[in-house]
Amino acid sequence: MIFTNKTEQLFVWIFFPLALLLPLFLEQNVFYINKLTTVLIFAIFVMSLDYLVGRCGLITLGHSMFYGLGGYLFFMIAPEYEAVNFWVYTFYICVIAAVIALLVGVIVLRTSGIYMIMITLAIAQMCFYFFSDSIHFGGNDGLFILMKPDTSLFGLAFFDLDNPIHFYYFCLLSLFNCLAFWKLVLASRFGRIMDAVKNNPDRTTALGYNVFLFRLISYVMASALASYAGYLFALQYGYVNPSMMSWQTSGSALVMSILGGMGSIYGAILGTAVYSGLHYIFEHMTEHWLLPMGLMIIAMVMVFKSGIAGFIENWVERRK
Amino acid sequence: MVVQLNNKNPGKTMNHYKPLVTAAAVLLASVLSSAAAVAKEDPIRVGIMLPFSGVYAALGDAGRNGLKLALEQNADKLHGRTIEYIEMDTEARPDRAPEIATALMSQKDADFIVGPVHSGVAMGMLKVLRNKKPIMIIPNAGANVATGPWCAPNVFRTSFSAWQPSYPMGQVALDKGYKKVVTMSWNYSFGKESLDAFEESFSKGGGKVLKKILVPFPKTEFQSYITEIAALKPDAVFVFFAGGGAVKFVKDYNAMGLSGKIPLLGSGFLTEGTLAAQGNAAEGIVTGLHYADELDIPANHRFRAAYAAEFGKDADLYGVQGFDTGLLIAQAVDKLNGNISDRDALIQVMEDAVIPSPRGEFHFSKAHNPIQTIYLRTVENGVNKVTGIAAEALEDPARGCRSN
Amino acid sequence: MDFAIFLVQLLNGLQYGLLLFLIASGLTLVFGVMGILNLAHGSMYMVGAYLAWYFTLHTDSFLLGALLSAVIALALGIVIEKTLICRLYKRNHLDQVLLTIGMIFVFNALQSLLWGNDSLGVDVPELLSGSIQLTELVAYPVYRLFVAVLCLVLAAGLYLLINRTRLGMLIRAGESNREMVECLGIDINRLYTIVFGAGVMLAALAGVISAPIASIVPGMGEHVLITCFVVVVIGGMGSIKGAFVAALMVGIVDTFASVLFPAVSSMVVYILMAVILLIKPQGLFSN
Repeated sequence: MIFTNKTEQLFVWIFFPLALLLPLFLEQNVFYINKLTTVLIFAIFVMSLDYLVGRCGLITLGHSMFYGLGGYLFFMIAPEYEAVNFWVYTFYICVIAAVIALLVGVIVLRTSGIYMIMITLAIAQMCFYFFSDSIHFGGNDGLFILMKPDTSLFGLAFFDLDNPIHFYYFCLLSLFNCLAFWKLVLASRFGRIMDAVKNNPDRTTALGYNVFLFRLISYVMASALASYAGYLFALQYGYVNPSMMSWQTSGSALVMSILGGMGSIYGAILGTAVYSGLHYIFEHMTEHWLLPMGLMIIAMVMVFKSGIAGFIENWVERRK
Repeated sequence: MVVQLNNKNPGKTMNHYKPLVTAAAVLLASVLSSAAAVAKEDPIRVGIMLPFSGVYAALGDAGRNGLKLALEQNADKLHGRTIEYIEMDTEARPDRAPEIATALMSQKDADFIVGPVHSGVAMGMLKVLRNKKPIMIIPNAGANVATGPWCAPNVFRTSFSAWQPSYPMGQVALDKGYKKVVTMSWNYSFGKESLDAFEESFSKGGGKVLKKILVPFPKTEFQSYITEIAALKPDAVFVFFAGGGAVKFVKDYNAMGLSGKIPLLGSGFLTEGTLAAQGNAAEGIVTGLHYADELDIPANHRFRAAYAAEFGKDADLYGVQGFDTGLLIAQAVDKLNGNISDRDALIQVMEDAVIPSPRGEFHFSKAHNPIQTIYLRTVENGVNKVTGIAAEALEDPARGCRSN
Repeated sequence: MDFAIFLVQLLNGLQYGLLLFLIASGLTLVFGVMGILNLAHGSMYMVGAYLAWYFTLHTDSFLLGALLSAVIALALGIVIEKTLICRLYKRNHLDQVLLTIGMIFVFNALQSLLWGNDSLGVDVPELLSGSIQLTELVAYPVYRLFVAVLCLVLAAGLYLLINRTRLGMLIRAGESNREMVECLGIDINRLYTIVFGAGVMLAALAGVISAPIASIVPGMGEHVLITCFVVVVIGGMGSIKGAFVAALMVGIVDTFASVLFPAVSSMVVYILMAVILLIKPQGLFSN
């Protein structure tokens, strides 16, 4: 069992069955299915950021670049009027994103702390403007993806991505896989060394590990999964736009990650769900939804540091 | 289930109930949506997808006011049906457009979806709404594609296409004797389409576009571009900017001492809703548009008086376009005696509609874009004075539209 | 591009750069002294512009409006520091980023509640509204020249304040060793309050000064914020001198790039920044 922590087990056993059953209640209502799918997709993105920031100590404000790239890369490499195989293109996109992350990582990881925040932001902005001012990639207005890929594997197709419910389950499965993936990484030798790198880089270096290399590998993995999330988002509505790469996207992902409980990985799902829920409620309450949202973020930083995951963990501890 | 409105007092009462009702709606939507039976007494659900926050918020607000005013004035023509407004803030963010459009279509089961302001948002909406059940009415966004390659039976536009206000200006420039012109706008589709439309007619008549300057959106540091225009010494400059960018550009252009020397032409948005902020700098700018505040026709006087009385401020173009959207809905409902359940019949009466707009009467082209007059306007003493007609009953070429 | 036009463009670049310096100086000062990364700095710029508009409208005097705005901004800065920022000194940068993102949301909402969403403008004060004829075609607005000079004066003032006064000495001491300053019996918290207030005031002042030549619109702060970051990072976080050099660099590069390489112009300053950080990861003048 990869889920060792008690609260985490609790979460997995409650969340995933619930998520599996939810569409049965909402079958009439495509909107809620779509909304939940968007949350699942964004949770994949937030999770990769949670790993980077919470587990590697690498604070980035430019992670949205890879989220956006996931969508744009598909447009760039896939033929426009032909359905392609999902898995093949997932592989292409993740590999290309990983190569880009490798190059960016070499520059970015030379810095640390505040400089890293700034340079990631700058590189993401560069990328944002590249697409926003481009002539061939839809510019500021964004692009449409006309054909959804098919998901058949060895001739077997379980998911039809044009069907919102199928797409929902597909994203749920992806989310679970990502959660499992990060847990496996963390439980491995690599993950434990990464812990050491985060807590005391100097001592880890003294022990003979190449800290830079470990960070770089983490950065590449997180970026590849972020691009996978962006790819899914692009497929959901068949639409990509430079605003996916804006620093606001990175910023809200950071807020979600903290809200869920930084570094807890599964907390990313909680944080994304709660943030999106609040956003939805505030937005329907008032045009000035920014105000309650902003106040909530401020209050969260001030008094709710350990996030929802931390809160639940405390609660579970106390009940023992 | 959401916001039930009495026709006589729209607007104000709804905000009180909105939070409560929405919270309930979140929980109960699935139950209620299946329970909703189609009856003639049901309200007509009008989804509004406009920006109420961010850069375009003022435009969204005016559009909403106009829409509600028209439906209020025509309440007696709705054959007893009430209107239920479902308002959604697009934040002018294209990436959220498909989601919100889906919400209005599937969750709220809207009969009409009115929006948006921003062309990028329009693309996202079209992606979801084309050939679906709700009727989409665009009260502003002018991207040519909406009534061009992406036209659809259920998509109408009560505003304009980017092509319309700019195309006649090429001829206007030629008539004034300009041979070499620099064109300039923000680098997004609407801006580019405006410049292309101008160039189309200008080049056809033998004019030459010296340079097409595309400024990254939404940059407003224009100083270096204006200096470049001065270096090129054209006969005139044709620009598309709107809102804050238009204010900034006109002021900078004047401050650099060019306004008396190189005449400024534009798509009408350059001086629309911005004159107060532009002040003296805007004097003498010549623009083309399908409306002018000062337009001297009875429908316009009536509209402006009613709008000012209702909302305590002067109407603008965006209010007019919202108003016409409301007229279109009211007329369609009236012709069908309040029964709008037959979608094909609804589309048919909307296609045949003649809208007694404050901008002058107009009807729709095959691609569902208004066939309308483009007025020539010159800024004099802080108002857009109508000095002539740039093109009578101008129809967008609707390039690439096949489905209608 | 003939030589006269080249000079005008250079002037454009310098003037833009000086304005950038004014906005960025507050950001870099606050970071240098307090180690606080204030993402809401752009919002303060926006607040300054809106206040200037509001007071100019109601007092009929730009100067009076500017003074009132500056005082209010200072007070605002002090309140924010006392209630929120002061609890974050021991926390990491991440919490600061989040807190200030929350503040951006709040300020944007307040702006829309208080002043609405129309785009607004302030007239250039009568005295400075003329233009100076440079070439036969191009004139240069006096107000822009005035802004450039004012920014230069403020830069010089800031330099003297930090290097020649007791307050400046404390600021420099606080930058290098917080504990030591405390041991010497200086109330470091009060120093921090003053510095943060001054930072906010500088941003708001930049907003006030640009009000007559900018369009006052919702979201104007965020556009400026990112460019300011570039300036501060290139110059070296916390270095006023660095911010000055970097601001001029960015101003000039941006101006010429938009004319010479229009297709990639908005990327150019970011490329510049990446290149500089590649060579000097801490920026040009970091301490």
